Amino acid sequence: VVLSMIQLAWNAATQFVDGERVFVGIGHPALAAMVARRTLAPHISMLFESGVDAADPQRAPLSTGGAEVAAGAARHGDMLDAFADLQQGLIDLGVLGAAQVDRGGNLNSTVVGSYDTPRVRLPGSGGAHDIAVLARRVLVVQPHDPKRLVDKVWFTTCPGWHEGREHPVGGVLRRGPVAVATERGLFTLQQGELVLTAVTAGGTVADALEGLDWRAGSTSLAELPPLPDDLESRFGDLFSGSS
Amino acid sequence: VTSDWAPSNKVMSLTEAVSGSVRSGDTIFIGGFGHCIPFALARAIVRSDIRHLTVCKTGADIVLDLLVASGSVDEIVVGWFGNPGLGISHVISRALSVGQLRLSESTNFAVLLRLHAARLGVPFLPTRTIAPGNLRDRTRDVETVTCPFTGEELTAVPALVPDVALIHAQRADRDGNVQMWGVTGDTVIGAEASRRVICTVEEIVESTTIRTNPDRTILAGHRVNAIVAATRGAVPSYVEGHYPRDDAFYQQFQTHSKDASWVDEFVARIRRNEEDAAWSSA
Repeated sequence: VVLSMIQLAWNAATQFVDGERVFVGIGHPALAAMVARRTLAPHISMLFESGVDAADPQRAPLSTGGAEVAAGAARHGDMLDAFADLQQGLIDLGVLGAAQVDRGGNLNSTVVGSYDTPRVRLPGSGGAHDIAVLARRVLVVQPHDPKRLVDKVWFTTCPGWHEGREHPVGGVLRRGPVAVATERGLFTLQQGELVLTAVTAGGTVADALEGLDWRAGSTSLAELPPLPDDLESRFGDLFSGSS
Repeated sequence: VTSDWAPSNKVMSLTEAVSGSVRSGDTIFIGGFGHCIPFALARAIVRSDIRHLTVCKTGADIVLDLLVASGSVDEIVVGWFGNPGLGISHVISRALSVGQLRLSESTNFAVLLRLHAARLGVPFLPTRTIAPGNLRDRTRDVETVTCPFTGEELTAVPALVPDVALIHAQRADRDGNVQMWGVTGDTVIGAEASRRVICTVEEIVESTTIRTNPDRTILAGHRVNAIVAATRGAVPSYVEGHYPRDDAFYQQFQTHSKDASWVDEFVARIRRNEEDAAWSSA
């Protein structure tokens, strides 16, 4: 297992609030939730768009409908159950990844290049747009890569911060992407812009911003909680099956 | 067998089921979600002369790649397409780039609500998803609607009525009562939205087995047109209680489908009924 992947999952895991209901995407988001559930936030309840509710995967799933997601869950609902809870405002935290995220918290999972003549056609929204619009807040889990943490996304699949986010929709504040975790640090939303507000324990601001046009929120930044020494040995199995 | 519920017999062969219920130009819904993907039915369509299909699905699987690669699909209506957990669809990307295929994309929830509207028998449903922006601009069939009770503005999505749903499940009886457990995803919603339903199953069981466990029934027989016995009919996806997902095959497909000639040969093998070869070759 690549250490950076464990560090990324850990940094994201530090942003979970124990007891919350989380709507989890496949890949880094699922790993982050699985690490959080085993460490800092043992009482989170994971919902997958397949309808599997109060899930507790033991291995990184490739599909939200995978056997890893289904096994050990409290309920196999259907997809409408999952999105109904999301639209009601019952999901505290949506956890997403994307091909690109920009400083305004907009996510792109649709194209590289222009929409009509893309260099690469990506898989599209899936449930990501729905989660970004309807969850109370969203955490983005994203490997540090200047191509993926950009000034402006090619295409806004999932809207970030915009006018109106400060007003309740259906009686619920739905703030959209409020934080981006990388393996080097944490960006949080301040006045509509994602700025670096914490660095990986032992890391530097320069590392966390390397190659990016993004900026730090202040001159002295907090460190995220240190990666537990035994995370890989205790939970290495979680990461098997993923990339 | 004697019974007092006048059993019918909906059991038929794969070829009979497909030729009897799927027509060129139809809109088809694909059941399964990671689990129980109806690959045997998709292969039967590949082997048929059915063309000009519209295929709808919330989040698709490589079963969609197979149908598109065979040239039987004109349009896909989806929230997501690709190889779950592994990446982009090379097959669909190529088909889109050469204009062989039309794409109608929105989100998984939006496609689901369109099917649910059809299932409820109403022309549209209001929702809070599909926010203004790039995606909404590119989403056909989306309007703004004002709630007549609160005055609130919502998004409206129109009903999507598939002509036929293709699904795979663990078991059914001859009456067409279908039982499926584990992950169902959008399967029941899409099937109940559709005019006709074809279902392959791992096993056909006696009605008493169904009727002693009716909580496992996802579709009653009156909604199902054809039942086909198709053991391992969801391979390379998985069926709870029967076989695991062939993750290695999905990986191989992701690597090799970059090569259009490999995909052509893959489709040709299915047409030649060399299924074992097609589903294990690297």
